[in-house]
Amino acid sequence: MSTATSVVERLRARIGQPGPSSAATVEAGHLKRFVEAIGDPNPRWTKEAPPTFLVALTPVSMHMAEAEEYGKGWLNGGNRFEYFEPVKVGDRITATGRIADVYEKTGGSGNLLFIIVETDYVNQDGRTVARLRGTTIRR
Amino acid sequence: MTIQVGQELPELIKHPTTRQLVQYAGAQGDFYEIHYDQAFAKSVALPGVILHGLLKAAFLGQLVTDWLGDRGTLKAFEVSYRGIDVPDKPYRCRGRIAKVDGDQVVLEIWGEDPDGQRTTLGTATVEMN
Repeated sequence: MSTATSVVERLRARIGQPGPSSAATVEAGHLKRFVEAIGDPNPRWTKEAPPTFLVALTPVSMHMAEAEEYGKGWLNGGNRFEYFEPVKVGDRITATGRIADVYEKTGGSGNLLFIIVETDYVNQDGRTVARLRGTTIRR
Repeated sequence: MTIQVGQELPELIKHPTTRQLVQYAGAQGDFYEIHYDQAFAKSVALPGVILHGLLKAAFLGQLVTDWLGDRGTLKAFEVSYRGIDVPDKPYRCRGRIAKVDGDQVVLEIWGEDPDGQRTTLGTATVEMN
């Protein structure tokens, strides 16, 4: 109980603080492997990224290993993408995440910890191309 | 073609396999064992390996972009995972027009398991040309 409480408190103390940025270039080969993996044959995706590709481009490191003290497994609760500009092969994208919210809920099968992470994706010209809000759950 | 509230999108049926889960794990860089290690998945109270939520999101993304083509631009795309899905069962992606406001169209989208349970719910907002 005290461990769970302190994990929540420690994560809540980080709300709003940006995590480390990570940058990656959109490579044609990676894009090809990604669209093969999702099974989407649209020829448009040889040059442009399909809607969910940014999650594969660069891992957003939020150092949330401490959250693993809570519960026994991770679940993805949901994802919300906003798009401002297309992402194309050759673009250099920098991703920066921040913890937007942390809260507990009591579900039918026990307590759940919700961690909301918002990530901004900025291209080589300094323009924000997309924003992702992800809900990750420890149960 | 006029876009009207209530119209359904052409459905997209996907046939995920364990092979595809491994392929997706590699392409996304998500190596959480619940997507390829049966024993591990069972140890965390799952029936076996399950689909990545983001793979189901990608299926629904395809549903929307196949329908949209070059007639407009996807502005927002949101999915909420309400249930787990296992490989070797067809995954049915469906959608309908929920709202039309000038050039802006909101789609209600969802993914169904073979029992008709909506295990993924979402919305997509598009701006027509």
